[in-house]
Amino acid sequence: METNELLEPFERMLAKLFPPSRVREIDSSAEWQDELAEVEASGFLDILAPEANGGAGLPFSAAIALFAALGRHAAPLGIGRAMLERAGYGEAHSANSELVMLSAMMAGAGDRLLAMTTAYANERVQFGKPIGRQQAVQQNLAVMAEHCVAVRLTVELAGDGSGPPDGLRAALAKSVASTAVPLIANIAHSVHGAIGISAEYDLQLFTRRLHAWRAEQGSESRHHRSLGKSLLAGDAKSVDWLRAEIFDEIA
Amino acid sequence: MFDNLTLARIPDGDDDLRQLARKLAAEAVAEMPLDRRARSWSGFDADFSRKLGAAGLLGLTLPKQYGGGERGPFARFVVVEELLAAGAPVAAHWIADRQSAPLILNYGTEAQREFYLPRICRGEALFCIGMSEPGSGSDLASVRTRAERTASGWRVNGQKIWTSNSLASDYMIALVRTSGTSEDRHKGLSQLIVDLKTPGVTIRPIEDLAGDAHFSEVFFEDVELPLDALIGEEGQGWQQVTAELAFERSGPERIYSSVVLLDGWLAHLRAVGRSDDATAALVGSMIARMAALRAMSIACTARLAAGESPVVEASLVKDLGTAFEQDLPLAIADDLASHPEEPVSDELRRTLEYITLVAPSFSLRGGTREILRGIIARGMGLR
Ligand SMILES: Cc1cc2nc3c(=O)[nH]c(=O)nc-3n(C[C@H](O)[C@H](O)[C@H](O)COP(=O)(O)OP(=O)(O)OC[C@H]3O[C@@H](n4cnc5c(N)ncnc54)[C@H](O)[C@@H]3O)c2cc1C
Repeated sequence: METNELLEPFERMLAKLFPPSRVREIDSSAEWQDELAEVEASGFLDILAPEANGGAGLPFSAAIALFAALGRHAAPLGIGRAMLERAGYGEAHSANSELVMLSAMMAGAGDRLLAMTTAYANERVQFGKPIGRQQAVQQNLAVMAEHCVAVRLTVELAGDGSGPPDGLRAALAKSVASTAVPLIANIAHSVHGAIGISAEYDLQLFTRRLHAWRAEQGSESRHHRSLGKSLLAGDAKSVDWLRAEIFDEIA
Repeated sequence: MFDNLTLARIPDGDDDLRQLARKLAAEAVAEMPLDRRARSWSGFDADFSRKLGAAGLLGLTLPKQYGGGERGPFARFVVVEELLAAGAPVAAHWIADRQSAPLILNYGTEAQREFYLPRICRGEALFCIGMSEPGSGSDLASVRTRAERTASGWRVNGQKIWTSNSLASDYMIALVRTSGTSEDRHKGLSQLIVDLKTPGVTIRPIEDLAGDAHFSEVFFEDVELPLDALIGEEGQGWQQVTAELAFERSGPERIYSSVVLLDGWLAHLRAVGRSDDATAALVGSMIARMAALRAMSIACTARLAAGESPVVEASLVKDLGTAFEQDLPLAIADDLASHPEEPVSDELRRTLEYITLVAPSFSLRGGTREILRGIIARGMGLR
């Protein structure tokens, strides 16, 4: 698929431009025009822009994996925002697509935390064996994985389509992603022990972002509220409402 | 991680049975109070199951040659979703349609397929699962029920327990030891199809905490079975039962056990006109979880449709799904009790009480929460 062909070079570029040392500098307010210029030159900022404007005119769904990659590399939010700006979705749609973009970045950051935490659990030895051999640790990691998968699939669902997502799907993605943040960040830290608290260890780059992005454009309760108001306003049963409003199964 | 579980949609053509399933389910539950509908999975109605069979809604994953619909897991997902959403009484055909039929299709001889499958598709052959024993719950490989070879077949001795619907079923697919001892673990296990009318089989119902008796103890005392009671290969019981459990764990039922209660509560909120911010946020939190789970469940169905046995993926969905099913009655109880000024119908109260009592079983039946998380951890390379 198009997405995979795009993803690999995009990830390679992000890995090169935003190594953890650079992420720390940007977090301490360093300018990043050089990186932005390089991303600009790569053409990735224009993938959603209409072909008439010199863009690639790709469907919104094609950008989801790229947004997730931004999150996985702790890259600046501004890159995703620039991609959306050039898509020219109009005001209301821009807000919705920003919510889904944020959620996708959260899915990516969660994914990174899951990989880091699982790897750490297999390396760190206490009581003569890797801590990942301890059932209590395994059970927590399993729950973390469940939530990471739930976030990723919900984001894919919300972002599925050629145009920008509507308000309900955007609220869904952001609420599911935000809800999962405390659990994902807490388990990641718990499994890492003290090393995860140190500034020089990379874990905090991602947990810090998850907490910030959870709040950005409203956290779960705000978006749950919009979903709930919509569901209560009609008379549809839960499954029918989901099929009509979220899964786009009823024309 | 788990990158093979990706967004999937119900293919266009596979939604065509939805209206029919919805109509039959609506007829079946028309006279039922909410708390009976909430029993959906354990609601036993053989007539209804036969009606579904006649309408072509059973055996959707089986080839036409054996009376099936030859439609695949998505068509089954659609039908099952409609039946559960309505709270239709599905217990009679449930096990046969979900796991016994695919097991027989995959491992049975041609004669066994021809004998059992068409009747399963008509809703006429009802099956139960004989896995658990008094000493073997999560540690299924430790089963002690034994089958010995005789001149003419098998002689079975031992006991199963918690066997859902066994009293009204025709057959049990039992996991038994055919050689070695419990210490041999995964070796020496086999699966037998036990005709429950065979002499020596005694079934004693167990009443559950809600007053229902959907499961039983099943005793085998010198039960003589023919040679062709063996399904699959002797000694391959563990591999077969693992594949069977993937079918058991991957369906949409693992997210909809409390859906009748959820809809009852939504109807209550609409009737009393309560949609303040806090209430809406609570409703939204539930529907958001359900949306995520439905997406996961459909993604899992896509793996089944691709011919895989998504054991780990199904465990992800089931563990998250049962947590959701269990949280619903707790949140709804708190919500209703915090609005004492609102009149609540007896029906809704009884439904809430019922789901509250049985909810702990959601994360026991079909494999406990801890066991599922262990399977996920293995999938993550942690064990
Ligand atoms: C409503 C209902 C219907 C059922 N229907 C059927 C049926 O039709 N057929 C059938 O064969 N069975 C059936 N069962 C039985 C079900 O499969 C078992 O309850 C289940 O496998 C758990 O076994 P157990 O109850 O003996 O609990 P145990 O295995 O004794 O477990 C008790 C607790 O210990 C934990 N535990 C056990 N081992 C481990 C471990 N290694 N690591 C961590 N924790 C562990 C469990 O997670 C659980 O919390 C049904 C059960 C219920 C509640």
